[in-house]
Parts: sequence; C-alpha cells; structure tokens
Amino acid sequence: MKLLYALAQKKQKGKWQLNLLKLLLVVIVLVCLYTFLYLQHDATLTNLGERLQDSSWEHPLGTDHLGRDVLTRLLLGGQQTIGYSLFALLAALLVGIPIGLISGYKGGVVDRIFMRIADGFLAFPDTIVAIVLSGLLGPGIGNLMLAIVLVKWVNYARLVRSTVMIESKKDYILAARTNGLSSFSIIKKHMIPHIVGNVLVMASLDLGKIILLISSLSYIGLGAQPPVPEWGTMLNDSKSHFQSHPELMIYPGLAIVLVVLITNMLGDYWRDRFDVKKEMQG
Amino acid sequence: MNLLSVKDLVKSYNGINAVDHISFDLKKGECLGLVGESGCGKSTLSRCLLRLESVDAGSITFKDKEIQKLNQSQLRPIRKDIQIIFQNPTAALNPRLKIKDSILDPYLQYQKELSLTHFSFTSKDQYVNQLLEAVGLPKGMGDRYPHEISGGQRQRVTIARAISIEPEMLILDEPTASLDVITQAEVLALLGELRQQLQLSYLFISHDLTAVNQLSQQIMVMKKGKIVDQFPVSQLFSEDRHSYTKELIEIF
Amino acid sequence: MILSIEQLNVSTKEKQLVHNVSLSVRKGEWFALVGQSGSGKSVLSQAIGQMLPANLKANGTIQFMDQNMLTLDRKQMKDIRGKRISYIFQNYHGSFTPFRTIAQHFQEYQKAHGISSKEKRKENAIEALESVGLDASFYKRYAFQLSGGQLQRVSIALALMLSPELVIADEITTALDSVSSHKILQLLAQKQKDTGCAILFITHDWRHVRRYADRLAVMKDGQIIETGGKHRILDHPRHEYTRQLIKAAPILSSGLRSGLEEEKKHEPTFS
Repeated sequence: MKLLYALAQKKQKGKWQLNLLKLLLVVIVLVCLYTFLYLQHDATLTNLGERLQDSSWEHPLGTDHLGRDVLTRLLLGGQQTIGYSLFALLAALLVGIPIGLISGYKGGVVDRIFMRIADGFLAFPDTIVAIVLSGLLGPGIGNLMLAIVLVKWVNYARLVRSTVMIESKKDYILAARTNGLSSFSIIKKHMIPHIVGNVLVMASLDLGKIILLISSLSYIGLGAQPPVPEWGTMLNDSKSHFQSHPELMIYPGLAIVLVVLITNMLGDYWRDRFDVKKEMQG
Repeated sequence: MNLLSVKDLVKSYNGINAVDHISFDLKKGECLGLVGESGCGKSTLSRCLLRLESVDAGSITFKDKEIQKLNQSQLRPIRKDIQIIFQNPTAALNPRLKIKDSILDPYLQYQKELSLTHFSFTSKDQYVNQLLEAVGLPKGMGDRYPHEISGGQRQRVTIARAISIEPEMLILDEPTASLDVITQAEVLALLGELRQQLQLSYLFISHDLTAVNQLSQQIMVMKKGKIVDQFPVSQLFSEDRHSYTKELIEIF
Repeated sequence: MILSIEQLNVSTKEKQLVHNVSLSVRKGEWFALVGQSGSGKSVLSQAIGQMLPANLKANGTIQFMDQNMLTLDRKQMKDIRGKRISYIFQNYHGSFTPFRTIAQHFQEYQKAHGISSKEKRKENAIEALESVGLDASFYKRYAFQLSGGQLQRVSIALALMLSPELVIADEITTALDSVSSHKILQLLAQKQKDTGCAILFITHDWRHVRRYADRLAVMKDGQIIETGGKHRILDHPRHEYTRQLIKAAPILSSGLRSGLEEEKKHEPTFS
C-alpha cells in the first residue's frame, strides 16, 4: 500500500516555474534600484503646463492630470504599496505567531480566551473589518495598516496554533520531553521548523491580498491620501480621465496585477517546496 | 540490585483504572518483558514511569529515589537515565530535522552533566558517526532526513538517539511492531547486543510474546490494567502459568 | 482452479512493479502470498479486481473462473467485485466512511448487489454480524465507536455476506495486536470452512502462514521466487530469501522450526 501511495503522488513540478519566479524577482529589484538611481522628477510636484502628456523621452509613461511624471509615481508608488504591505504583514506575524505558539502549546484558559477573540475577527470578511475600522479611526495609511494587522493576525495565530497542537501530540515531542528539553527549546528546535514553512506559504499568499486591500481601500479614499503616490490612489486620481487617457489607469492596474501574481506564485512554490498542503487550514 | 521499583501504582482516566495497583522490580542489567493486548494499559504504564503522565497513587523508585511526585525541573536529571524507544519511528523523529540534529538533541541538553564512558565527544560529526556505527548504520547518514531512509533505519536512529547519553534504562514501547519481519529480527538482535555492550536495563513492552521471550530474562503479563502473571523466562512453559498466559502461548 | 494468473506484469511509465507473475488459487483453499512491504504483493492483489490506481497498467491474463478479468468492462467488473470476489483491507478505518453507521454500510452494499427489500437487507446484516460474533447492537453504531478488531470483524462479515468464491485479504491483521489478529484469523478460517470460499491471503507474517495456509507463494521485488505447498516450503525452502524469512519470524520454544511439527503442536486449536 505504501508503494502505491508513493506512486500515486504527483510528480515534482518542473524547475522552470522557480526560474520564472527568480526572473520576476530580479526584475522587481532592478525596477526598485532604478527608482533610487534615476529619479529625475518630483513625484508630487504639479506642473499644470505639462498635464496629460503622451510618452516621451522626458516622461516615458507620460504625465497625469496634474502634470506629474507617471513613471516616477508608479515606481515610488510601488515602494509605498509593497513597503506598507510588508510592514503590515510583518506586524501581523509578530502579533499572530507568539499568540499562536502560546495558545497551542499551553492550551487551557489562555487558549480559549485568545481563540474566542480570534473567532470574533474571523466572523467578518477581512475587507469589511478593514473598512469599518479605517472608517472609525479616520482615513489615512497608518490607520489602514492598523486595521490590516487587526484582521490578519488571526490567521497566523490559528495556523500556528493548529500546527503546534498537531505536532505536540507526536512521539518526537514526547521524546524531546524525555530528553529533558524545556518548553522553550522544544518550541525553538522542534516547532519552529514546522511553523516556518506554513507561515511562509501563508504570508506570501497574504502579501498579495494585503496589496490588493491597501490599493482598493486607497482607491475608495480610506487609505493613502493624495498626493502620496500609491497605486490605489493613482487609480482613483485618474478615473475621471479614463475616457481620454485610459493608460493612466492601466499602468497602476498592471503593476498591481504583476505584483500580486508574483506573490501568489511564490506562495505556490513554497507550498510545494514545504509540502504543507495538508497542514494548511483553508 | 533494583534499578526501578514500582509499588501499587495507580493511574485512572474517568474513574477507570488504566493502571491498576501494579508492582514490580527491574534489576540492573536485566530485560523485563511486559506482554499484553492493546488497550491493556501497558503504554499508560510506560508514560507514568517516564512521568509524561501524572500518577494517581503508589510509588516509582528509580535508583533509590522516589520520582512519582517530582516536578519537571526535578525530573531533568532523572530523564538523563531513562530513555524511550517508541513503536513508530516515523512519528518519533522530527521530519524537518536532519538525522544528526535529532541524534544530538539529548546530548546538547545534558552536555554539562555527562561523563561518557562508551562514547566520546570530540566533534558533532564524529560523535554522530560513532552512534550511527553503534546501531549499524553507515557513517554520513546523519546528513539525511528521516523520509529518505527506511523504517528499520529510522528505528535504528531513534535507538542511537536514546543511547547517545548512555542512560541506565530504556523503555522499549513496541519497538518492532511497525517493522517488517526481517527488520524486526535485526532490530531485536541489535537491542540485545546493545544491552550487553552498554550494560543497559530494558523494560520491553510488546504484544508479541515471541519477541519478549527472545530478549527478556523476566516476563510480566498484563491484562486490563493488572499484572496477572510474573515469572522468569525459563518458566514460560511451566504448568503454574496463569490461564491468560497459557492462552497467549497458544497463539504463538 | 478458481483464479489463475499468468504472466502478469504491472508497471508505471518508469518502473515495473510486478514481473511476469504466474500463480493459481484452487477452489476453497487458503493461499498465502508472502512478501515484505514494497515486494509488489498488494499491487498484484489490486490488479485482480482492477483496482489499480490510474497510473498503473497491468497486462497478462487473470483468469477468474471462466473470465479474463483484464478484459472486462466496468459494468461487468462491478458485478464481480463484492459479489464473487471480495476484499478485506489492512486499514480498517479507511474501509468505513466515518459519518455513516455500520447499518448504512450493510444497506448500501446489498443494494448495490441487487437485494431490493430493505427489511431483508437488515435481516441479512444482523445475521452476518452475529455470525462474526457481534450482537445486533453494533448495527446502529458508527465505525469510530468500534475497536480495530471489531471493525475487522465487520469487514469480514461484509466481505463474506454474498458468499463470494474468492476473498482477497490484504494484510488484514497488520494493524492489530497479536491477540486480536489471532481471533480474527480463526474467525476467517471458520468462515472459510462454512462457506468454502478460497482465500488469497496477503501477509508478511510467517506465523499466520504457518498456521493457516494450504499453499503459498513468496514474493520479492515484484517476482515470485518460490511457490508450493506450505509444508514443502517451510521444511525445505529452496530460495535463500525464503530461508531468511522463516528464520526471521520468531516462534516460541526452541527446536520447533519445522512446519510439520508446528502443525502437530497446534492441531488442537484447529478443530
């Protein structure tokens, strides 16, 4: 039976996907570097004399309705969007992972309290919670990020908790206990390796979602405020010129699609790599 | 000289005694076999002895020290001397750790307190290879992961981990039950040799009377939480055996 | 001859798992197929009922009564499987759907094989349960409420319910302890006596072969290396690997390695 099972396993995915991912990552890094080296325009400086220009050597992607260079705004916007997203994600990890570890390892009352709170957050869709929170706290990127951390930590806490709970029933944890390892060393040496894989997969998939969330909330005016060059804000700015200059919306739109696509592929790759399908919970 | 002495040990779950007033002695250097069906409480007993479970009543004396009430930090020096081999080596090894890291786990815990007589530590690799050799595995296997080696090899790895800090006693909890016949025989033979080489004492838990018979000097038969029969291995076929023991003999 | 396999090969795209295997099972006998995990014995047994995973292809002939199993279509196969050939598996938890009662399993099984009266089906089921030593109260229970040994009893009851000519028992005692194994196999032997079915018994445990088999085949790396009557093989193994297997299986008391003596010793338990 074991043999059959092994044979029925899907064959390993080809290497080309990995290479494609590497290539895309390199492209993004290069683009970011380009931003630092070649910033020729001020992203927020309005110049009404040069508004809505087409592509030229001076402005490779043209200018927007206030005469600002679109390429510069797009690149800086990328830094903003990706940067904010990473920061929000990191903060969510820093809150979620320790809570999950404590909750899963200690169990009992602590676990119940944390998980009831988590259930409360899980009962509403991410976007709704984020909108309500940033609506209550007032628009602005800082509040938006706070909202994102508040909705995202739950996922990590639950993922880590369930991993810890599953693993701590296994014999090798018992063996570690009979070897005199303290709870801290057991978590450090035996739990973290399991958690890293799962969290990495979930985080890379989440990064895309957070980027989308920030962009869409900025688009409806709850996130980054003009004149900050953020992709969602850029979309919002140019929607009134969509008929005459559709490219002004297409550029940031494509940028969002590209980045989200890459993070998703990265997540898929890591999922295969760590083979955590069965451990992921929805 | 008794290494381990258990008196009137009781452990109950929901009012039912899984371990019901059990008493026995394990002499130093001896292998004591514990035979019983699944669900008779033998695994609960082993967990109580290791103090992975709390004990409801009775005493466990290990090396003249009562351990049934000790807390985790008081148990630490004792854990160095009692190790366990589990039934399923796949579950007993962390799949995300290289084999050498699993083997090194106990040593890194007890480094300071240890004075090894059979093994020696000069470097991690040398130490791991020494242990691999002791359990009949090729050097260099330490760099592989558990899923890359066979079930029998995995069980040898858990044995290497258990003997690495030269404990006084091993609890063998069905160590061969998940292995195929030929590998079972090999692992049993290895355990027999190691006991003599390293002057170990075993509590060998199994439902397989033939395996217990092969390795043990004393045999206990457990049924529904109680020890119903206890005898030296030479007396296995004696007429005085408990009817349940005779029933078991009939099966094998 | 109830089942005769000739020149059977099973392979994936890359690897051959069963090489040119021929064997035959006679009516009403207990035929043991012995080998270690990975020897291809389970693949072989699954090929018989066309239960191989999609990436495995079998060719050769598998003659069951008067039909070549490998040429049958899905419909014909469905009629044979369960009714004339039935399987019992090692993994008793996997054999039952967790959220359905034992009753539902029995009902469904009989319905699939054309027993239309619901009352009749229930009657049959309870009778079958009682015949394996489980009282009627088990009928309403869920699989997880039963122990491994009890579930394996239910498996046997299900498998033998429609009096198949051949029962394929694939490592059915591997997940059980030796006491329950013993009870299960005695039950199976008794049922065989009652119904006269042939049993293809797949195992790695020589003890069971020693006690129950009439004839046996030893399988290694996808090939059958030795086949014949039990006593011939136990007393005079021809192949080194067979010798190794016999030696590795521990038996109680010294000097009783031979199958003949073993048989005498255990005679009483047979009757």
